[in-house]
Amino acid sequence: MSKEDPEKEPSWKSDFPIEMKRGTHVSRREFAKFLGLLSGAFALSNGFIVIRAMAFPDKPLEGEHFIVNAEEVPVGEMFQFEIQGGKHIPYILIHLEENEWRAFEQKCTHLTCAVRYQKDVNQIQCPCHNGWFSADTGEVLQGPPPRPLPQLDVAVRDGKVYVREEQEANENV
Amino acid sequence: MSNFRKSQNEAHPNKTNTIMTGIIILQILFVSIQIWFLFGALNNALEGNFYFALTTFVGSALMAVASIWVLRYLPEPLRKKPARKEKPKVSPSRNP
Repeated sequence: MSKEDPEKEPSWKSDFPIEMKRGTHVSRREFAKFLGLLSGAFALSNGFIVIRAMAFPDKPLEGEHFIVNAEEVPVGEMFQFEIQGGKHIPYILIHLEENEWRAFEQKCTHLTCAVRYQKDVNQIQCPCHNGWFSADTGEVLQGPPPRPLPQLDVAVRDGKVYVREEQEANENV
Repeated sequence: MSNFRKSQNEAHPNKTNTIMTGIIILQILFVSIQIWFLFGALNNALEGNFYFALTTFVGSALMAVASIWVLRYLPEPLRKKPARKEKPKVSPSRNP
């Protein structure tokens, strides 16, 4: 057993003092130690981001996925869907014009609110903080979103709508 | 009995206060930069910029080490010397 300093107050006594004033008092030494701990916690959380990015890299969507029959989505309408088997990411399919289809992630790039297509202005709106995206490219037009909406390629064959990972995005990586 | 440390403390009575304030300000500066790094890393990692996350992690870790290392220089709390138990002085009363 370690020899204790007889002059030093035992830990149990300083942790549970009799006087309330001493219980609520935070000395500058304690505050500095707390800041050191906080600093370590921030470094750990930054490390967590790195580990997560290394261990679980974002996998591109594999293959084509059937979504809906083309006749079920008239021009100017939006269709919500999720791709089975993958992560639960909600998407929206927009029928812009005849033979013009777009598919975007439905999560706003600001704070992941669900975005929706506004037919009258032909733009995608995030109602939470009034963010607007181009329905054609997914680019941010207005508001707080920092990035464009992630997009999928859409192909229509035999009256059926399929989506797959955006080819342009893969080429850039 | 006086020694070097005691004389120094008496010559510079605000020294402990200055060191303590300096350490805390330094730590607050480190933590603020770390918050900035973390916010940036979260945003950039979402966009797939891995090297930004890695660089900010290295920076953040260095600052964490620094802010723990400066704790070495925290001044020791001033201790009161234990009062000696003195025998009660019994003085003869002048007013009998």
